[in-house]
Amino acid sequence: MRMRPFAVTRGPLFSCFMRMLLVEDNDDLAETITDRLRAEGHAIDRESNGDDAHSLLRHARFDLVILDVNLPGRNGTEVLRAMRDRGDTTPVLILTARSEVDDRVVGLDAGADDYMVKPFDFRELSARCRVLARRKSGTATNSFTAGTLTFDRSARRARLGGVDLDLRPREVQLLEVLIDNLGRMLTKEEVADKLYTFDEAPTMNAVEQTVTRLRRRIEGSTLTIRTARGLGYMAYVTDE
Amino acid sequence: MNNRRRSIRLRLMALMTAAFLVLLCLISILLWTYARGAANDSYDLVLGGSARAILERITPGPDGPTVDMPPSAMEIAGIVPAARVVYSVFSPEGLVTGTPDLPLPDGFEPAVAPMFYDALHNGAPMRFVVQGREISTASGPFWVEVQVGQTTEARVAQQRDLFLTGMAGLALVSAIGLGFVWFAIRQALRPLAQIERDLQGRPPRDLSELAARPPLEIESLFDAINGFIARLRANRNMTEGFIADVAHQTRTSLSTLQGHLELAADARSEDDMRARLVRAERQSARTVRLTNQLLSHAMVLHRADGGGLHPVALTPLLRSLVSEMLRDTRIRDVTFTFDVDPFADKGDVVMGDEVVLREALRNLIENALRHGPPDNIIDIDLRAEGHDRIMIAISDAGPGIPEQDRERAQERFVSLSDRTAGSGLGLAIVQAVAEAHGAGFHLSTSQRGGLKAVLSFARVLSLVLLLALLPHPSMAQTVLRVASATDEVAIRPILDAFERENPDLHIEYTDMQTVPLYQAVLDGSMNPDLVISSAMDLQVDLVNRGMALHLDLPEAQSLPSWAAWREELFGFTFEPAVMIYNPTLIAESDLPRTHVDLTEFLRNHERSLQQRIGLYDLRQAGIGYLFATQDAEFGQDAAALNEVLGRAKARVYPTTNAMIDAVGRGELTMALNLIGSYAISADDPHVAVHLFWDYNLVMMRTGFVPKTAANPEQAARLLAYLISHRGQVLLARKTPLVPVLPLVTLNTPTLNRMRGYDGTFLPIRLGPQLLTYLDALKQKRFLSAWQSAIRP
Repeated sequence: MRMRPFAVTRGPLFSCFMRMLLVEDNDDLAETITDRLRAEGHAIDRESNGDDAHSLLRHARFDLVILDVNLPGRNGTEVLRAMRDRGDTTPVLILTARSEVDDRVVGLDAGADDYMVKPFDFRELSARCRVLARRKSGTATNSFTAGTLTFDRSARRARLGGVDLDLRPREVQLLEVLIDNLGRMLTKEEVADKLYTFDEAPTMNAVEQTVTRLRRRIEGSTLTIRTARGLGYMAYVTDE
Repeated sequence: MNNRRRSIRLRLMALMTAAFLVLLCLISILLWTYARGAANDSYDLVLGGSARAILERITPGPDGPTVDMPPSAMEIAGIVPAARVVYSVFSPEGLVTGTPDLPLPDGFEPAVAPMFYDALHNGAPMRFVVQGREISTASGPFWVEVQVGQTTEARVAQQRDLFLTGMAGLALVSAIGLGFVWFAIRQALRPLAQIERDLQGRPPRDLSELAARPPLEIESLFDAINGFIARLRANRNMTEGFIADVAHQTRTSLSTLQGHLELAADARSEDDMRARLVRAERQSARTVRLTNQLLSHAMVLHRADGGGLHPVALTPLLRSLVSEMLRDTRIRDVTFTFDVDPFADKGDVVMGDEVVLREALRNLIENALRHGPPDNIIDIDLRAEGHDRIMIAISDAGPGIPEQDRERAQERFVSLSDRTAGSGLGLAIVQAVAEAHGAGFHLSTSQRGGLKAVLSFARVLSLVLLLALLPHPSMAQTVLRVASATDEVAIRPILDAFERENPDLHIEYTDMQTVPLYQAVLDGSMNPDLVISSAMDLQVDLVNRGMALHLDLPEAQSLPSWAAWREELFGFTFEPAVMIYNPTLIAESDLPRTHVDLTEFLRNHERSLQQRIGLYDLRQAGIGYLFATQDAEFGQDAAALNEVLGRAKARVYPTTNAMIDAVGRGELTMALNLIGSYAISADDPHVAVHLFWDYNLVMMRTGFVPKTAANPEQAARLLAYLISHRGQVLLARKTPLVPVLPLVTLNTPTLNRMRGYDGTFLPIRLGPQLLTYLDALKQKRFLSAWQSAIRP
């Protein structure tokens, strides 16, 4: 159970006040969500049906879209699919009330980045939004920051507290992969796939070793790499 | 209810049936004895007649008693068509003729009256008669005994028939009796029908007890039903209680929440308000959890009712569930591990409902998360248990549940620790899921000191794809050994056809003369799979000795009745005995028309035919002996004919072909009593065939499968082929042999030729009567008469 004392909502430590869109037909719930997120410093718009959301998304740009699945007009999955078909890679978090397999899987298949089941914890919603934003910013801009760690994508150099880490090429690749998949579990096989080309034959041991080495190198930063034996790896930024 | 009624009936029926059966058994013993007596009486007449016929022909001879075997003896025996026959004539000095060492009855005394007895001979059960006659000789009177024995198949069959008919009648009577019992029972069980009607007529909610007054015998059944109704009522009440419980829990939760919030709204200080709101938040979390779990529980029960179970792979299910739960940012400090046994493809599949399984597993993991510290370690194991079970274990490093509380924890709405604010339904849900899957659910302590929850399922036994290796008919060929007295050249086409149709068989054909073939099979120096010969009498003798296998050939049903014996010996050709002559040396018109005329004819042309007549050497050619003896049977005056042939210095040959060649070359003018088939088919202008108008004997080539055959089934197949319609047509078309089946629509030169003489053909019948001339004495006498006349 959470033992944390009352936490004042702090803003994220990386400067990211996002421009969000919430698509939710229930007014009371929508109000709660928008109030919360505004209080955290974000700018948030709200639509209450799928058709309006669809037209809005066609010419407006957002940093994050929170999308309910059950909407009047077009349903959330269709809106999402249309976005992805257009090539719109804005991060999308789906809200679903049903807990059976279909809604989740269909949403993820259609291109959602994450989903939450109602009723959800609002703090958790906020945290997941931040993770998604981080992910996106990591891929969009050239530089990624986590505490004392900075990573310059184009130069492929990482610095910890200003000192160059002199990472090996594999380690750089791994760092990139992990940042692109913040908050998401990657299996050893998936990591291997992304690190090695198809004609190299990596052993799972090699992947393990690279992860261990990288973890040691970035120690002291707020980027954490977790290993779940039998499941895979997940990287996240700890202060959020 | 219905089931119970039937089984009482059945029980009573069973008892009655048993009683009837005992009665029937007793009666059947009497019936059996009677039937045997009846059968014996009829068949003993035949046996007695045969013995008497022989007895009449016993005469005192210079070297002791002698007997001239009458054909009638074997013919009488042949009245029983399929029985094998043995006989012997003996005197105090020893055997006169026949089979030595036939069994005699215990305490045998010579007598005029026939004595019938049963004994084993050569392993076959036989019925014997022994009868004697006193004959007077110069040295005084002494007894000569005649023994005749027959195998008992027909007799036993008749006995069985009589017996079965009698039993059938009795069984019918019993069945009718049992039928009455059946109806009587129905009447007695009427009261149960009454109860049935009562229960069926009730509305579903009516769980009141039955009110009828049952008869004594059903009273306890009645009480049991009422007890069941009472329990059902209790269960229903419990369910209704559950719903009331749920309502209570939910409403209480919400009221509490409401209370906290109102207090917060009315709070004076900010600290006060915050304290209230924290409590409200916690209460709300609890209500949310309760609601989720109620919905989950309802879903599990609903799906257990309706849905079926499908194959579910557990590894991907667990992986995706854990990955999904790991998204939650609040449990980042928790360490998860996942250990999977290396299952083969589909080795982790169980029959289940995926949605409901996820719920159960999610509940277990959430339980572990809620009750443990922030840096909990949750181990998920997926392991095989033996060959047919698989288990999921979720272990944590939390406080665990003490053993005495584990039972309670699985009850609804019991949460063991207020602090941890579970709803109390989690484990009950897992229990319900386990039940729906027929899975085991067990709580224990984990290695890290926390709780270990184990779900154990039966694996879906992987359908082992056994490529049904149908036993390939071994491409290695079986060798079929055929010993035959038929020219291989003549029979080859039909053998080839058979080999083509049966590629797994290869025929090894041994061509021999009839008498050596008979000898070799008799003394066991040859062990062929199939014995074919033109010497019908020799074949009958071998079969009579019990050397042949009984064959059930459907093709044999189309054979004429005289063409098969005992379903062991089968004839497959129809070959007349003919006279062949050289038409350049003598004209057809000059030849005798009847057998009577033949002797006359030979006498008249004695001079021109000096040394120009061909005959079978009766000592070597079995078929020659057969024809000659059968001719004698039909009235041909053998003595006169032999005398004339002797004076014409007829020449003897061991084989048919030798004679045909000699006639063709002009060495002989004619040859008598030959197998005609070769000659008829030979397209030689120097060899012509002459048939008689009074009668023409016809012999059959016969085959049997010896009991000692190495490949009896395959041999039977060949024999069946020879007598099958297809085989016979092939025989007619492709070989010089003549088919035994009356193929009236088939036209070949041979068949057409023979059709002109249709009425004159006299087939030699297969049966024990052919044994007459094989009698040692008889044969010796015939041959010596022939020899002294012909002087070969």
